Amino acid sequence: MARSHDSALKERMWLWLQLSPVLLILAVLFGGALVLAVVQSLGFAPWFGVNTFPSFQYFGALWGSVSFWQSLWLTLYYATVSTVIALVMGIALALALVRTFPGKHLYKYVYKLPLMIPYTVGIALAVIMLGNGGMISRLASFFGFISDPSHFPQILKTHAGWGIIAVYVWKQVPFITLAIYAVMLGIGRETEEAAAILGANRWQILSQVTLPQIMPGVVSSTLICFAFNVGAFEAPFILGGGFPDTLPVVAWRYFNDADYTLQLQGMATVVSIALVAGIILFSYLAIYRRFERKIGRN
Amino acid sequence: MTEVRLNAVQKRFGAFTAIESIDLDIKSGELVALLGPSGCGKTTTLRMIAGLEAPTKGEVLFDGHDVSDVAVQKRNVGMVFQRYALFPHMTVEKNVTFGLDVRGLPKKEISERLEEILEVVQLNKFRKRFPAQLSGGQMQRVAIARTLITKPSVLMMDEPLANLDTKLRGEMRRFIRDLQKRLGITTIFVTHDQVEAMELADRVAVIFNGKLAQFGAPQELYQQPNSTEVADFMGASNIFSAKLVAADRAETSFGTIDIMSQPGLKPGNDVYVMLRSEGIDLYPESEAPQGAQNLISGKIKAREFFGASVQYVVGAGEDITVAEQSRRLLDVGQPVVLSVQPDRVWTIAR
Repeated sequence: MARSHDSALKERMWLWLQLSPVLLILAVLFGGALVLAVVQSLGFAPWFGVNTFPSFQYFGALWGSVSFWQSLWLTLYYATVSTVIALVMGIALALALVRTFPGKHLYKYVYKLPLMIPYTVGIALAVIMLGNGGMISRLASFFGFISDPSHFPQILKTHAGWGIIAVYVWKQVPFITLAIYAVMLGIGRETEEAAAILGANRWQILSQVTLPQIMPGVVSSTLICFAFNVGAFEAPFILGGGFPDTLPVVAWRYFNDADYTLQLQGMATVVSIALVAGIILFSYLAIYRRFERKIGRN
Repeated sequence: MTEVRLNAVQKRFGAFTAIESIDLDIKSGELVALLGPSGCGKTTTLRMIAGLEAPTKGEVLFDGHDVSDVAVQKRNVGMVFQRYALFPHMTVEKNVTFGLDVRGLPKKEISERLEEILEVVQLNKFRKRFPAQLSGGQMQRVAIARTLITKPSVLMMDEPLANLDTKLRGEMRRFIRDLQKRLGITTIFVTHDQVEAMELADRVAVIFNGKLAQFGAPQELYQQPNSTEVADFMGASNIFSAKLVAADRAETSFGTIDIMSQPGLKPGNDVYVMLRSEGIDLYPESEAPQGAQNLISGKIKAREFFGASVQYVVGAGEDITVAEQSRRLLDVGQPVVLSVQPDRVWTIAR
């Protein structure tokens, strides 16, 4: 008995030992940062001479201000609108790519270009192209659509955020297209052809046959894009409309403040972003899971 | 009940010509196979009839009306794909009613027709299942039901038996035949397997390299092929070059044999003669019949035993394959005499 107990213990030890590298990575990369952030946001920062742990005063101050909710709204608005626009364009592009058209070969390379160009370059491009002294406004006045470039409608630095959305969409359409195109190649054209022969029109084929089948690609790519957009900093910082800023920019302003104790307020902001994003993504996945069960995938 | 006619139909994909020019006349209620090796253009032909491809030239006629410009959706045809192409995210029921749902038929009629068709294909028990939970035979029956519920004027099938195991093949073959006869629906299917074509079809169209090689009843193609390619594809083993010395006599390397005279072939013509392996009688030398026509002596070179049947290769100037019921077994090396009736020799112009 003692022997077998002994060997079982040994076996379990060996198992944990084998798991240790991945556990270490999980602990340091995810657990560590998250725990540190949560602990700080609850008032633990002896290195700044602050230790009121556990207190919810930072969350209270944050959530109690109107500007937080305005920032949250802006963050979610930019993230959602850009993800939805990129998704619609991505689906259209992927649908085009599984068909044959002249120049397809070249196009298959060109559309991936934004994937390789950094966001900051995209932002710079947006400034050059979309600004009031930008290329498009100058061209518009050159062709006489407007009398002067300065009359061009304000796109950048507004709370409508079309500049931010344009950059996100520009960068993320290829990504979504790539994900959905891969799924489409996997399912092939046969079910669409079968549906056409059975009398379905284009819209019925798209909504009842194609879309349900490409959902895995839609969900995974939009999930990643949305999560990125919620946490992204540069685009809203440079192209946004100023106060109230999006939450990542708010957090950055706290971190960068001369009063370093405000870093705790910044941590509370970061944790709030994580909470909101987590709840949304979790619900999204739960809804998708229900859909999957409905279509017979277990 | 629809009559299908292809009129000098041609199909090109860029520089590649899939179909040279095909004329085909399919009678109403007929079951026709398009038979040919892979890449011969048979599937393209089927897709053109379905409306999934538009012909480059020529016309596709349904009951005399040109449907070349009619969209797939409006053509009212049915297609059963080789891998069935069921909608994986829909239950059997939803798959089957899809064609009626998209047409916006009243719910009551849809459910009536659903019950009726599920009865026909015996899928009542599986109606709530998803395609992934079905066997190959069941999936095919769903695909057939999904198509038939729309009452298509022409039913098309791509390799209907290819993905099934031997036992299911027999079952599905009978099922398809019965259903087709009962409904009297014009049916066209594509296959690369001559056995499948002969098992199912009323008439078989053999297609080689985008051209129609021969179109006729299975026994006609099998016994009277118009070219050695068709004969070869239909599984003929004994094709020998010969010279006609008279309208009804041919000189071969295993002797001069009596044949049936065929129109268009004259003495002096170089021809091929084809001897069906099961049309040849085989006798041990001692039992050779006296005075019979076309006696060929030789020696057994090889024997292949298939259980119910046995196949011999007899060396007699040429290697002649003979098949017979395995009621007896002759040994390799044994001297034998072959006899073949003149009406079992088919002559092909060279």
